[in-house]
Amino acid sequence: MKKPKFPILHVWLDELTELVKDEGILIFVILLPLAYPLLYAMIYNTETQRQLPICVVDDCMSDRSRDFIRRVDATPEVVIAAHCVSMSDAQELMRKREVFGILRIPREFDLHLWRGKQTVVGLYSDLTSMLYYKVEYLAVINVAQELNRNIKVLEHQKTTTAREEKQARWPIRFEEVKLYNSAGGFAAFLIPPVLMLILQQALCLGVGMSMGRSRERFRGLVIPPSKHYKNTLAIVLGKGLVHFLIFLIMGLYMTICVTRWFGLPQLGHLNELLGLLVPYLLACTFMAMFWSHFIYRREDCILLFVFMSLPLLFLTGVSWPGASIPPLWKTVGSIFPSTWGVNAYVRIQGMGASLGDCRQEILVLWILTAVYFLLSCFLYMFEIRKSVGRTLLN
Amino acid sequence: MLTALKNIWAITYRELRAFSKRPIFLMIMFVAPLGFLWMFTSLMQSGLPTKLPAALVDEDDTHVTRQLTRILGTMEETRFVLKTYSFTEARQAMQRGEIYAIFRIPKGTTEAALTQRQPVVSFYTNDTYYVAASLLMKDMRKMSEMAGLAITRATMRAQGFTDAQIMGTIQPIVVESHPLGNPHLNYSVVLSNLIVPGLLMLVIMLTTSYSLGNEWKRGRQKYLYEMGDGNIFVIVVGKLLPQTLLYTLIFWLIDLVFYSYLQFPCQCGIPRMMLWGFLAVLASQGFGLLMFEMFPAQMRMAMSACSLLGVMQFSLAGFSFPVSAMDLPFQWLSNIFPLHHYFLIYVNQCLNGYDISYAWTNVTALVGISILAWLFSFRLTDAFLHKEYRA
Repeated sequence: MKKPKFPILHVWLDELTELVKDEGILIFVILLPLAYPLLYAMIYNTETQRQLPICVVDDCMSDRSRDFIRRVDATPEVVIAAHCVSMSDAQELMRKREVFGILRIPREFDLHLWRGKQTVVGLYSDLTSMLYYKVEYLAVINVAQELNRNIKVLEHQKTTTAREEKQARWPIRFEEVKLYNSAGGFAAFLIPPVLMLILQQALCLGVGMSMGRSRERFRGLVIPPSKHYKNTLAIVLGKGLVHFLIFLIMGLYMTICVTRWFGLPQLGHLNELLGLLVPYLLACTFMAMFWSHFIYRREDCILLFVFMSLPLLFLTGVSWPGASIPPLWKTVGSIFPSTWGVNAYVRIQGMGASLGDCRQEILVLWILTAVYFLLSCFLYMFEIRKSVGRTLLN
Repeated sequence: MLTALKNIWAITYRELRAFSKRPIFLMIMFVAPLGFLWMFTSLMQSGLPTKLPAALVDEDDTHVTRQLTRILGTMEETRFVLKTYSFTEARQAMQRGEIYAIFRIPKGTTEAALTQRQPVVSFYTNDTYYVAASLLMKDMRKMSEMAGLAITRATMRAQGFTDAQIMGTIQPIVVESHPLGNPHLNYSVVLSNLIVPGLLMLVIMLTTSYSLGNEWKRGRQKYLYEMGDGNIFVIVVGKLLPQTLLYTLIFWLIDLVFYSYLQFPCQCGIPRMMLWGFLAVLASQGFGLLMFEMFPAQMRMAMSACSLLGVMQFSLAGFSFPVSAMDLPFQWLSNIFPLHHYFLIYVNQCLNGYDISYAWTNVTALVGISILAWLFSFRLTDAFLHKEYRA
């Protein structure tokens, strides 16, 4: 093949051919971004916990307590899997992990209600998962409130007209609206940040491995001793462009195809997605090039980058509320593009925000792009000098 | 026997010397687990997030609605950072990510309430931020429910009912919830107990396949094989023993920080948790070894497999999203991960204080995962004798 005239094209073509030939890098830049989002989306595909088995200890055994239990059983959240005669039986089922909660109706349940007194129903939740507590509490509190309204208007405050009854049931009505994730599902909440994070991590792994390969091949140098590798700008841009372009395709695949296949939030338009993906991926690429300078062997990049994924997810402030993150960790989080990219993506794609609404994030991403670009240029300049020195020595 | 022990010591000594020459390796072994211990415990030091930012849209703006909003302002999770008359403004603030929820009191609420025409208030939570939205939703719901009840209570008081009678009318059935083992719903307790050991276990898996693979990479596998007299048990034990000790100590340190320094609930006592920690270290090493045997002498493939599966095990441990809610194949898959079993043992022992006999399957699984790798040791022998490093 005829060598291109411009060094930047030369570097670009070199990097691309090396990448295609290297099975190890291909796994990270092609297979990982293609398959991992599907895997994650499938894990959380069921969105929420339904029909969680709980057991009930009915010490009252009255018409009214049975009505209460039937109503709880009828909720979508839980299912009454067992009726126990005593709390110790119920606890035994809980220890065996056959049920994940106990609903206890006291002996005086019916008596107290007839007497017009308050009665207390106990709900004991297993905390293996926080979601268990949430769904059990919701199911039982909804039933209790419904019954409370019935008792109020049918037994205590008798009304004469339908409107009066409505008013007595709900002196103030309230509507709860779950915006942007109407089912309150887990996939719609967790997968969008994970998609962005996969992009960054896969980029780091790909670039890192390519860097490790160069170091191994050229005895510690990151650039081949060739006359095309003398221009810092050409090297940084040429190498970066390969990864950037591949990941732009991967980014579009994730934000358009994966979100569509799994019915995830997709309010963003193509130009908004591009307006975010371009600075995000550029910042990620140059950051990867910067950090990769500390990698001396191919496999080191896996050690260095993989376990960062989970802490970075926390630093984005999506899973753990950003408002509760201490300032120190906010600062640490702000040097990673993922923190800004995830927040902007969640807003554009999940909440229909415009690029203008996310201008702070986009601006920071461009700043990070510039900073990491300059840092990588600086390191490559150093490497070129080293390479020239080595050639002279030889 | 004595020669075997000598060989193990020789290999261990060689391994220790190799550690000292690899700064990146040392950093991953020490700095990463301890750094994350610090990070996660300080990140979630508030336990349960409180005073989350929300907006209040009070289109009515009367003394009644102001009273309502004052009460709302006293709630634990809610802090109104934005008060406005325009819903659009609040919605835009939400899209900018400044607030997680909007409480809206429409025009005419007070009038409707006074003339018994059932006013409607509404609240909007941004469920793309799941935890924050759930907490705020709980607060606002409770508040709206209470506001309605307060109206009835005021009427009944005027009619001369006693407070006991009133409560029996407006809230006859009270639900008392008991989140077992963690009554304050402290997220940090359970989340740190999953993530910090989980990250350590991920590091163990990676470093196990890394340090083994390095022998092939440096072309020293035949030499190592001779050092162990061809006894695969001696070689693997000698090679991994320093890591076992080191990681066990780190695990114990984590236990001490959690249960002694930070006073996280621990029903079973620290020594018992240390034992489970030790088992978790062995199981993670077994997992890493197994992956290396699946891709003999291919360090990179083994490490890739470890990282892909190792990151996934956080999801499949089932704390945030329960395993029981996942599709069946993932429920099966979760059983191959040491973290899943360690987490269930933790819940059984430390959080709930149940007898270990209820979690015997998980203990068996941890031991099983540690042993499983030995069943495939013939692949390792084969790799030592016939396989070369592949980039």
